[in-house]
Amino acid sequence: MSNLLDLLVAGLATGAIYALVAVGFTLLWQTSQTINFAQGEFVMLPAFLMLAVMHAGAPFWLAIILGILLSLLLLGLGFKLLLVDPMLRHGVLPLAIATMALAIGMKEAVKQFFSAEASPFPSIVPAGDVSILGRVISLQSLGVLALAIAVVIGLTLLLNRTSIGHQMQATAQNPTVARIIGVPVERMILLTFLINAFLVALASLLITPIYLAKFSSGEVLGQAAFIAAIVGGFNQVRGAIAGGLLIGVVDNLAAAYVSTQYRAAVPMVLLIVIILFRPQGLLGRPEERTV
Amino acid sequence: MSDAILDVQGLVGGYGKMTILNGTSFSVPAGSITTVIGPNGAGKSTVFKAIFGLLKLREGKVVFKGRDVTGLSQRELLNAGICYVPQGRNIFPELSVRDNIQLGAVVARDIADLPARIEAALDKFPVLRKKATQQASTLSGGEQKQLEVVRGLLLNPQLVLIDEPSIGLSPLMVQQTFNILKELRDRGVSILMIEQNARSALEISDYGIVLELGQTRLVDKADRVLNDPRIGQLFLGGAMTETAA
Repeated sequence: MSNLLDLLVAGLATGAIYALVAVGFTLLWQTSQTINFAQGEFVMLPAFLMLAVMHAGAPFWLAIILGILLSLLLLGLGFKLLLVDPMLRHGVLPLAIATMALAIGMKEAVKQFFSAEASPFPSIVPAGDVSILGRVISLQSLGVLALAIAVVIGLTLLLNRTSIGHQMQATAQNPTVARIIGVPVERMILLTFLINAFLVALASLLITPIYLAKFSSGEVLGQAAFIAAIVGGFNQVRGAIAGGLLIGVVDNLAAAYVSTQYRAAVPMVLLIVIILFRPQGLLGRPEERTV
Repeated sequence: MSDAILDVQGLVGGYGKMTILNGTSFSVPAGSITTVIGPNGAGKSTVFKAIFGLLKLREGKVVFKGRDVTGLSQRELLNAGICYVPQGRNIFPELSVRDNIQLGAVVARDIADLPARIEAALDKFPVLRKKATQQASTLSGGEQKQLEVVRGLLLNPQLVLIDEPSIGLSPLMVQQTFNILKELRDRGVSILMIEQNARSALEISDYGIVLELGQTRLVDKADRVLNDPRIGQLFLGGAMTETAA
């Protein structure tokens, strides 16, 4: 039998990464009605950007910095200006479909211009194990978990404790009124896209050493983040965090105790159950729409 | 009018191809409560949006304290001293009451005495102080209106545009809200209000403006507007122009 503690920690670690991705996903939805079906590919790409910088001869740390900067530029600013702004005018659905097209485009572009093969990716957390309470736990999992939790806490503090965070929430909750009281709504929306770009870049940096850099890796990640966001509550940051952690743990435990073949099905089952019995998600609030 | 704080001159504009404002003109005397009344579709709320830069005007000018402020951004208008409290619910439901109020000062450059101002505002409205840390969605309709007014006043505006403050409020809350407006006027703040509840609004007002079909039909002292026989007719569906002619 596997070590349950190690499984839990590993589950929480991947779950924390899902949470990062899911948080970005819900932020985009809240502030600009963008359902980003390319979110998984957004996690896939930064690792390749970093690999490209390293292939050019730069050290890993520089590749990380440049990779994050490029992500902010391409997946934050570029995504908003070139895809979201022009498409949102036509409605939420055309934009969602455009993001699906973007996902396919990104996948194929990486396959074409980089490689169809999986490439190894260095880890920022050193390999090895630590012993806690007599149990052996991988340092990698612990490090990923710690980093992801630190970022989530930082983001929560930003949203809830700072004026910028309040302005972002105001923009999400009531953009018309936010504008009337002088919140620079456009700038807040842009900031959301930049934060999402940062989150996916970080997630990419943390998860790629575990899953390898592959053009298709966004499919699984995007799906996990999407399920996490829905399970937790599509309109709540804390919901996305809870959903991400839950999916990570459930996924890992299912692989160990149910079946490796069916591991991907378990989050799906969870999703169906949630949609049937609690459509607003675990921590979400029901949304009303007038037609 | 030389003591006008706001001058609206020949506004023409609307939504898409629909023209709502057909050369609307009036001025708002400084230090007064001025109420805009008129039937549905007269363009009352649209005038407010136009003044506050939320509607693209095809023609016309908005002059505030002698300065042309047409088409300025909301941030610039707030800094100039105008505040706008629209109709309906204008709060951020999931932020705390205190955070909601604090957001009223996002454009302020001198943040130094902001905490003191917020405390002073909360002292004036004990209900809001009691619920300061709660989510704003837990406030009643009247309390939400109070919050909006308090938030709007953080920047010490000289002109408050307030649209239908009494809507959805109990008679007692309406009276309280009107009292707040009177108090503001007594402190020298000019108030331009839209009210469906024309009679009670005019009773506390200094001036009344009657709008119909996007044009100004009547500007006079509030009591004279209140007693004008044509007003009843206007609200009962008759057109004022016919009676006036």
